[in-house]
Amino acid sequence: MNRGAVVTIMSWAAVSLTGCAFGVAVSSDSGDGEGGSVTVGPGATGGTPSGSASPLDRTVAPSVGPPPSLAPPEAADYTLDNGLRVILVERHTLPLVSMALQFNGGAAAHPASQAGLAGFTADMLDEGTATRSALEISEELDFLGAELSTSAGYDVSVVRLNALEPQLDEAMAVLGDLVMNPKFAEADLERVRRERLGRILQRSAQPAALADDAFLEVLYGQDHPYGAPLMGSSGTLSALTREDVVTFHRERYAPGQATLVVVGDIDREEFDSLVSSVFDGWEGEGVAPPPLAQPDGHRDGRVVFLVDRPGSAQSEVRVGRVGLARSTDRYVPTQVANTVLGGSFTSRLNSNLREDKGYTYGAGSFFDLRREPGPFEATASVATPSTAESVVEFLAELDRMGREQVPADELERARNFIALRLPQRFETIDDVVARLAELAVHDVPLDFYAGYVEDVIGVGGDEVQRVGTDLMDPEGMVIVIAGDVSVIEAPLRALGIGPVHILSAGQP
Amino acid sequence: MKRLDIPSERHRLDNGLRVVLSHDDTVPVVAVNLWYGVGSRNEQPGKTGFAHLFEHMMFQGSEHVPKNRHFELIERAGGASNATTWFDRTNYFETVPSHHLDLALWLEADRMGWMVPAMTQEKLDNQRDVVKNEKRQRYDNQPYGDWDERLQKLLWPEDHPYHHTVIGSMEDLDAASLDDVASFFETFYRPSNAVLTIAGEFTRASVLEKVDRWFGDIAQGDAIPPIPGRSEVPPLIGSTMRDRVVADVPLPRVIVAYRIPPYSSDDFAVVEVARAVLGAGRASRLYRRLVREQRVANDVVSYAFPLMSGASMLLVWATGFPGSDEAALEEALTRGVSDLADVEMSEVERAIALTETDVVRSLETVAHRADVLSMLELHFADPARINREVDRLRAVTVEQIRSFASEHFGPDNRAVLTYVPEDGS
Repeated sequence: MNRGAVVTIMSWAAVSLTGCAFGVAVSSDSGDGEGGSVTVGPGATGGTPSGSASPLDRTVAPSVGPPPSLAPPEAADYTLDNGLRVILVERHTLPLVSMALQFNGGAAAHPASQAGLAGFTADMLDEGTATRSALEISEELDFLGAELSTSAGYDVSVVRLNALEPQLDEAMAVLGDLVMNPKFAEADLERVRRERLGRILQRSAQPAALADDAFLEVLYGQDHPYGAPLMGSSGTLSALTREDVVTFHRERYAPGQATLVVVGDIDREEFDSLVSSVFDGWEGEGVAPPPLAQPDGHRDGRVVFLVDRPGSAQSEVRVGRVGLARSTDRYVPTQVANTVLGGSFTSRLNSNLREDKGYTYGAGSFFDLRREPGPFEATASVATPSTAESVVEFLAELDRMGREQVPADELERARNFIALRLPQRFETIDDVVARLAELAVHDVPLDFYAGYVEDVIGVGGDEVQRVGTDLMDPEGMVIVIAGDVSVIEAPLRALGIGPVHILSAGQP
Repeated sequence: MKRLDIPSERHRLDNGLRVVLSHDDTVPVVAVNLWYGVGSRNEQPGKTGFAHLFEHMMFQGSEHVPKNRHFELIERAGGASNATTWFDRTNYFETVPSHHLDLALWLEADRMGWMVPAMTQEKLDNQRDVVKNEKRQRYDNQPYGDWDERLQKLLWPEDHPYHHTVIGSMEDLDAASLDDVASFFETFYRPSNAVLTIAGEFTRASVLEKVDRWFGDIAQGDAIPPIPGRSEVPPLIGSTMRDRVVADVPLPRVIVAYRIPPYSSDDFAVVEVARAVLGAGRASRLYRRLVREQRVANDVVSYAFPLMSGASMLLVWATGFPGSDEAALEEALTRGVSDLADVEMSEVERAIALTETDVVRSLETVAHRADVLSMLELHFADPARINREVDRLRAVTVEQIRSFASEHFGPDNRAVLTYVPEDGS
């Protein structure tokens, strides 16, 4: 994994107005390809650009001219003889090239009993190849000024590279070597396993991780890949063998399962000759990820699960259910509905729990959209004495989403927030790679964003309300809370919102 | 590597507001960024944490902007907004589609000029609760969460402005009143104590006129009072200071901090490169030795605080494994640092190459570029330095690092904070 355990703590001590809950409200909501320029937008209504001669009126927001147009660059999309799909966008503003070599299949491609395997394999790629030691790999990349990282999510395993254009050939040669010839030496496997066991232990002390892990297990069941944490548990990670890693690598890291998304200071001809020299002789169909079983988690009405963390100053609250797959045709209305509920600073959850009640530093919600339906969850870390009151507010806000239509002004704000920030989501070459890579893995057409702004602006209050009734109904929610059970249990039981169970705590 | 060529124009309004403009039309987005020259170092005894609480109050409305409207309008425009408080400054920033530049300027000008009339006791009580929850979430409820508070106490004497944390004391916050809010505003939130940077796509011909329209009639105010306490301290701590904490933490961790020259010192570039030799990337000294070779550490962290007043701090930490010997971990860590006295040329070259590309990459977004320009104007009156940051790093020599290491990384300049799991495992 990237710089792995070497963490730089830029401004950890800086204290900010909001946590990061809103910037990442939807974990995989993005993508873009080619397409028309973005020219519509409610910002266009009325007014003239504030000129020089008109008197200054501070009492009203300045009126604006039409929004600027965003013309996403053309993406070339083609497949090489060995099955590798290439998606290429030229952007020549800086002498940099960013790419993601992405493979179908991450943690959901192995059984939950092998939880941690996808991440462990990714972590091992830069620990040595047939011809380069781990130290040589790190030093070579550093001297080239290249950033390389390897990781695995539920749906994909991915190697990312950001390199300076003049050093691209050498940097890509390293990337190719890692992917094609990893050594997986026993001694390195044991060292990396030990480090990852340490990280699992660290996670087990973090209240947010305790709540997240318990929430996923309750929703999906312990035999479903989505029910297990990406890191795995100490039990599953300890049981993995070198053979498991080698097999996972052989099945996943094959050109037949791969997409290479590249954006930056490069043209196609140049890049094609580079790819054919770097990946010379790389062959293989690989194995498509197996289909997933149905989630086998809790589904018998609303229920509360508590994870005990004695002495906690706050309770980590998760309220949610199994949500949608990225391929859903309700993607756009779902984004709008979530923005209203918990996807922005002014969303109902944050306005209520933070700006009105002061129970928390921030509350939000998101749909984690995966190949198969991922979780929908509303979350906050709330002061321990306010835990039950907070749950009441969560349920009330969820209920309101389905019970009544969002007022026109609030709806417009949410739609604009999503539609008009599109240019910001294409600002850097890494951004463009991320957008395209996400479309590619979910088989969404690369011109998805051509009509995105119009689609978002066209979402009606009735569609948003249907998302509320179908997916946010408080009656069907699972509630998981990691906190001090001795304080929070009785008030939660007294709410009478459903059975309350205590989960055994902190099993890493 | 291609030389950086980020434009920057400096201006100053009649009321003292410093303005930096940096045009770039890569994407139709513009960043508005304000740095105020006030942070936790300006807090009086008994008022710790107030600069940050005040930053929260700046989002509670102003005379022409009701509570919540700031975020509502920015979101409606498809923008983003936030603010942070640090030891030496407080920053506020918006990134918006470029046709909404006026909106961001109006919002920032209104709270710079007309914040106090909108303040109420209810808003203060609400944000005090929010900030307390911020402290609970980010510090109290996290393993090792009090490390910075403990380390700052070891590194700086009690009357030094960095002796206390930015988040401050909750008891002090309980005592804060609406009068404190008004007086903090009058004292520090003056145009002459601020830098406004606009970076991204804007119309060059009219941008300065816009700034003057929105900000030009805000009264200048008086010079800000001196920083309380005593900023000047000896360059070295003088001994090894220690704090050993038995706590509910999963793994032992040793954190070692060194007193270093302030960010404004020419030597700070030496520290930055030394830091990268030690801890940047997997080929770094500490990672290579402690994680890969000796296998005594599970992770290694390093950070040089860019602080302005008197002296700053370099820290390194290593997290061990269950049952790790804390003394051995400390020895491996401190030796890894003090051995920089024999650092090799290739290590320095690697560190400079890595740091250089980090600098260049971080400047790809208009938001970060604006933030760096504001910082360089506020602290050095020299935003054009943004293009010379890389040269500063490249100029660092092996000899400089060796001599810096032998002067600063001995046992007479260490603060050692050790966390040990409660159950003794």
